[in-house]
Amino acid sequence: MRITCPMCKKITTWEENPWRPFCSERCKLLDLGAWASEEYRIAGKKEESEDETDNTKDT
Amino acid sequence: MGTRATDTNKNDDRNINEAQREEYGADDIKVLKGLNAVRKRPAMYIGSTGPEGLHHLVYEVVDNSVDESLAGFCTDIAVTIHHDGSCTIRDDGRGIPTDPHPGDPDGRTAAEVVLTELHAGGKFESKAYKISGGLHGVGVSVVNALSEWLEVQIKQHGKVFEQRFERGKPAGPLTEVGKTKKRGTKVTFKPDPEIFDAVDFSYDILSERLRELAFLNRGLTITIFDERVDKKQEFVYKGGIVSFVQHLNKNKTPLHPKPIYIYGEREGITAEVALQYNDGYSETIFTFANNINTKEGGTHLVGFKAALTRTANSYAASSGLLKNGKDNLSGEDIREGVAAVISVKLPDPQFEGQTKMKLGNSEIKGIVESIVNETLSTFFEENPSIARKIMEKAVQAARARDAARKARELTRRKGAMEDSGLPGKLADCSEKDPALSELFIVEGDSAGGSAKQGRDRRTQAILPLRGKILNVEKARFDKMLSSEEIRILITALGTGIGADDFDISKARYHKIVLMTDADVDGAHIRTLLLTFFYRQMPQIIENGYLYIAQPPLFKVKKGKTEKYVQNETELQNMLFELAADEVTLELKGQRVKGKTLIPFLKKLLNYERLKDWYRRRRRDPKILLFFLNNGISKSMLKDKYQLKDFLSKLKAQLTDAQVGDIYDEEEHGGYGVEIKRLNYKVNLDTNLLLYPEFRELATLHSYMKELGKPPYRATAKDTEKEMLSTTELLNFVYEIARKGLNIQRYKGLGEMNPRQLWDTTMDADKRTLLQVTIDDTVKAEEIFTTLMGDQVEPRKDFIVKHALEARNIDI
Repeated sequence: MRITCPMCKKITTWEENPWRPFCSERCKLLDLGAWASEEYRIAGKKEESEDETDNTKDT
Repeated sequence: MGTRATDTNKNDDRNINEAQREEYGADDIKVLKGLNAVRKRPAMYIGSTGPEGLHHLVYEVVDNSVDESLAGFCTDIAVTIHHDGSCTIRDDGRGIPTDPHPGDPDGRTAAEVVLTELHAGGKFESKAYKISGGLHGVGVSVVNALSEWLEVQIKQHGKVFEQRFERGKPAGPLTEVGKTKKRGTKVTFKPDPEIFDAVDFSYDILSERLRELAFLNRGLTITIFDERVDKKQEFVYKGGIVSFVQHLNKNKTPLHPKPIYIYGEREGITAEVALQYNDGYSETIFTFANNINTKEGGTHLVGFKAALTRTANSYAASSGLLKNGKDNLSGEDIREGVAAVISVKLPDPQFEGQTKMKLGNSEIKGIVESIVNETLSTFFEENPSIARKIMEKAVQAARARDAARKARELTRRKGAMEDSGLPGKLADCSEKDPALSELFIVEGDSAGGSAKQGRDRRTQAILPLRGKILNVEKARFDKMLSSEEIRILITALGTGIGADDFDISKARYHKIVLMTDADVDGAHIRTLLLTFFYRQMPQIIENGYLYIAQPPLFKVKKGKTEKYVQNETELQNMLFELAADEVTLELKGQRVKGKTLIPFLKKLLNYERLKDWYRRRRRDPKILLFFLNNGISKSMLKDKYQLKDFLSKLKAQLTDAQVGDIYDEEEHGGYGVEIKRLNYKVNLDTNLLLYPEFRELATLHSYMKELGKPPYRATAKDTEKEMLSTTELLNFVYEIARKGLNIQRYKGLGEMNPRQLWDTTMDADKRTLLQVTIDDTVKAEEIFTTLMGDQVEPRKDFIVKHALEARNIDI
């Protein structure tokens, strides 16, 4: 399975890749460092609203 | 072999005429005594009597030939390994002096003295010797002393001389044996088995060092023959140490095409450096002083490192490559991925360290440093694109170092731990067999509390995680996993983390269940966790250990009975079942009630939904229904007159509709027309009729005809009601179904009490779990990347719509 390294965006493979889903030990380490230093977050929406907006396109 | 070169430095010999230069006499040899000491303590002279010492013998002889080459008198050296364990070293230098050695009481030739007296050599005559390698000055006499036999042949002044030695002692005098036009020295020796543990020369070991010497002495040809296996290799490098660096990077991807070459001279000392970066992470630096591989480094290496660090930092700072200007690149960072060769040539080298492989001359540091500083900063200025690549690599190395430190801290730091070493927040299960143990990762402390009370403590462990909320702007809250939570998670799982530590076999649970709220926050935490597992512990997913809990979305209460409903579809079905028990409809003129009514109700629902779908797209359902009621067809759109008739009928019935001009619709060879009503618009053409949604609407519409013409009549509990539209009818059905029902929508796990949580979500006999597969996590990763992207306001819809289409597995 071809995958994209989440860190450097290089194309790599899943199989026989000890650093999967990364391309290298380096990239995997950089990612772990980012988790450890709380760099990853999901941006919330301004004013959380409950209504489900419709975003379907015009056909 | 012209061992002890006279004043040979090319840079100093401008005033010395050729005759003087060629005059290489016995005067230059100074005698020191004591060869027996060598046989008594060989290790003192050649390091060891193992393979290393054995090969040193060859190097010692070769080094003397190289000295001759440094002096400019030798271009070819050949080394041959023979069947009998002997080795021959031949050069085309001036040959060891053959005349009698002045001051020798026995009147021996200089050649004999060189071969029999310890420390006999031009090397110790400072005026005679500028640059020389040699085995730290022990001399070829050591080789002789440690050989079963040694034969020397010297071609000099048109004559050929030979002499044989046995265990260091001459077996006869140096004898003239013939005539020649050639010159040079040939030494053949057989290491003494009484001295060495083993006397087998290794082709690979020898050729490695000979290749090194060829690199270090640009243009010198060194050939190695192995008569035992008919192997031969010739080493000659026009590029010198530049070729050496290219050789080091042979199987790597260089960052820049050509090695950087630096050369300089100060105070009679020359320094030569070649370096080239590759995309790897290791640092490969070879250092040499007078061709000797200074494996322990020394002052030349220190000078090089200092210069590289300084030059790189000042370039990075001045060109704004360092982010905030205050961070420095460490020497380690700037040397990541570098392949370099440093070669200095100096008179009187001092070797230090355990193995005497460290250059000690203190003045060398400053000289190398200033030469490298100067040339390298110019190179960076003149080659900004290469400089940039090198700096970026160093910055990346710095980041990795920082990441490694943080990752280490993550697992080393101790938080609130129980005696067991497990995090205090974890409510562990009593079962110790991972295959039977489950870990519920529960969003929020209150749900965590319920889960702790509701669980089966035997096999179910609970770890509450809240995620951390960060107020970024006014009213914008970002979600993340705190490092503390990640640490706790890793500790609870027991697997460790990172390249060296992660071990799937240490997983303490073989079911890890993510239990999050069915809202946006829950989806965020779940995405964060899935992404973390995918990136840092993919083996957990590969082994099928990761699951997502399926808490119900609704609780439906009727009288005293309660029912949990997983999702909207299930709720819908339940409502129809309830309605079918009560409601009677007239279909095709017959009264229908009970289960047989359900398929019709489902169609009714889909029909209404499809009309809504069109309404949301600003396509007027009323006009569409008119089309269907009046038998619109493709053939009608091909006949202009028929179409006109149809349109006038439409205008008559829907008076507020505006009908545009009929236009040619060429793709289907027919006509089209735009119809507007209120702020809706419909283009009546073949495309519309062929569109799957319209065809589905038409199918459902024909089913609706079973109801007959409005008003539609429905009976429920003896009351009859008449309705004008199918929409009203559907609302009536719902109204009846919901009567006496209490439908509660669970927004959070916290709304369930421990008992409910157990019943609906945790009880292994009743629950549904979704097993997470790699495909799911690849999707989570995509979502994560999107949500982490540059978008200032990521769309909630995105995550809601993609909230993991995991495989449904009943556990």
